[in-house]
Amino acid sequence: MTEGTTNPEANRPTNRLSYLRVFATFARNSLVRDMMFRANFVIEAVSSIAWSIMNVGFYWIIFEHTNSIGAQTGWGRSEFFIFMGTTWIINSLVQAFFMPNSEEFSELIRTGGLDFALLKPIDTQFLISLRKVNWSSLINLVVGAVLIGLSIYDLSHRAESPWRFEPFILILYPFYICCGVAVLYSLMICLAATSVWLGRNQTLYDFWFYITNFSRYPMEIYSRGWGLPLYFIFTFVIPVLVVVNVPARLLAQPLTPRADWEWPLAGFTIVATIASLLFSRWVFNRSLLAYRSASS
Amino acid sequence: MAIIEIENLSKSYRVYQKREGLMAAIRGLVHREYRQVDAVRGIDLKVEQGEFVAFLGPNGAGKTTTLKLLSGVIYPSGGSCKVMGFVPWERSNEYRSRFALVMGQKNQLWWDLPSQESFRLHQQIYRIDASQFQKTLDELTELLGVRKLLGRPVRELSLGERMKMELIAALLHSPEILFLDEPTIGLDVVAQHNIQQFLRFYQEQRKITILLTSHYMKDIAALCRRVVVINDGAIKFDGSLSEVVDNFSSTRLVRLRLADGELATGIESIAEVESIELPKVTLRCQRLQVARVLTEALNRFQIEDVAVEDPPLEEVISKLFHDTRGPEQSSETAKAEVQS
Repeated sequence: MTEGTTNPEANRPTNRLSYLRVFATFARNSLVRDMMFRANFVIEAVSSIAWSIMNVGFYWIIFEHTNSIGAQTGWGRSEFFIFMGTTWIINSLVQAFFMPNSEEFSELIRTGGLDFALLKPIDTQFLISLRKVNWSSLINLVVGAVLIGLSIYDLSHRAESPWRFEPFILILYPFYICCGVAVLYSLMICLAATSVWLGRNQTLYDFWFYITNFSRYPMEIYSRGWGLPLYFIFTFVIPVLVVVNVPARLLAQPLTPRADWEWPLAGFTIVATIASLLFSRWVFNRSLLAYRSASS
Repeated sequence: MAIIEIENLSKSYRVYQKREGLMAAIRGLVHREYRQVDAVRGIDLKVEQGEFVAFLGPNGAGKTTTLKLLSGVIYPSGGSCKVMGFVPWERSNEYRSRFALVMGQKNQLWWDLPSQESFRLHQQIYRIDASQFQKTLDELTELLGVRKLLGRPVRELSLGERMKMELIAALLHSPEILFLDEPTIGLDVVAQHNIQQFLRFYQEQRKITILLTSHYMKDIAALCRRVVVINDGAIKFDGSLSEVVDNFSSTRLVRLRLADGELATGIESIAEVESIELPKVTLRCQRLQVARVLTEALNRFQIEDVAVEDPPLEEVISKLFHDTRGPEQSSETAKAEVQS
């Protein structure tokens, strides 16, 4: 809330509070810790690469039966792999930076360990959200980037309307990746904060899985029948549909021309991101009000 | 002006009243009964700068809740409180960088990392100047004798060593007020003694204000001149430890060691018998009766050794706790109404 408050007392430390530096230390400490458990690190790397290859194989088989997801949607095999790579990148960022912390947040609420976070002269949500970095999750980011690279190579070498590089995408894509991460983070921290009221929230992971599952596929699949209400809920109420769709679509299709709904959707994504962050901040603060600090 | 000013501070919780049995548990899914627990009910207290105050009370008396309110970790249900001019639960960064809370049963250091990594993090969060940080750290590790352990992962430290590290972490930013919640819990006698000595030395040197809760009377006897007895969420006594003993214990223990082969038959006619484990006998009597009891015992038995003691502090305190439980004890009544 208050960043770098000046300290009137003369004998008080006067260094400015640098959130970036604190985060760097969190990241460093986490890396030191991850390195201590080297075998774990290697196993995670191997299993996540194997999982990724299996996924690619699975969708490869599916695309043996069809050329595209729906007609005229622009989601052919390579485009879909860009979509999938984007999903992995976003998920791996969330898992690396926020997942362990959100999980721990609900545990801290339950056990009363949140006390220490509340005592520190630093923004509590910052402290809680970024305390640990799960470095090994970033392996999926690399795998996702490789998959995207291969798919783009594939697309730019096809005969019919090959993929063209446009410099603007270098700003747009990372920007919307960040928006996506922020939306998922907000959702996650809200889910974790409910532990304050529920006492226990073991279903956090389940919920997380159910909801984010909707974000894993191109939003065009919800364009018919029962898909429509889902489309509205997961775009305008819990905006998980825009998380992957917007950046993936920007990267997979040429920047121009675009269907008339695409740029408004991209604009909406920014609004949704800001709204999600504000909402998560509100829920977070509400949860602190209700925090009971389980006794020692 | 007092450094801590508490007025009519209270905190109540609403807890779900569980009933026994499966059927009751199922019924509980639909209809829940809540009970209001008044952990702290209207405390008034003033603490001056530089005081070392002990909070004394049985489990669940409200000591820890009071410390948590003072640290701003939880919000009160009523009343007001100012610490160094700050309202604790507003949690301003300035207030938070001027006090520390140490809890014997919770640890804040990174479990898998050496303590010095956690300390460095504190340096950044509390914005401690690098040279100042090094100086304080050297001083504290020297005093507590843990210099060699700085590089060892916290999980490999003994409980006592870990507590020392927790203390260092709490003191790195040179807090003006220190709240200690059972800092010696679970420690062996030596470690307890070490920490007591350290706290005494540090407090005398820095003249900081310390509030301590503890179950170990030895901590309190060694450290605190002022004792605040809390029971049922209210302050029942506020004064020195010797006043506690004077006020709440009117008896003495007379310990006798009988000569070899001497039997203790009929000794109960002299005074109330506390225990007989031949050759040792312990009697209890009113203070004014000590002389009479001793004379009679010496006349009637062959005695090798005699000692007269105050009853153990624990006993005095437990009597104090018992006596201070007011008739409103039953006011923790079940309230079915739900209040948010």
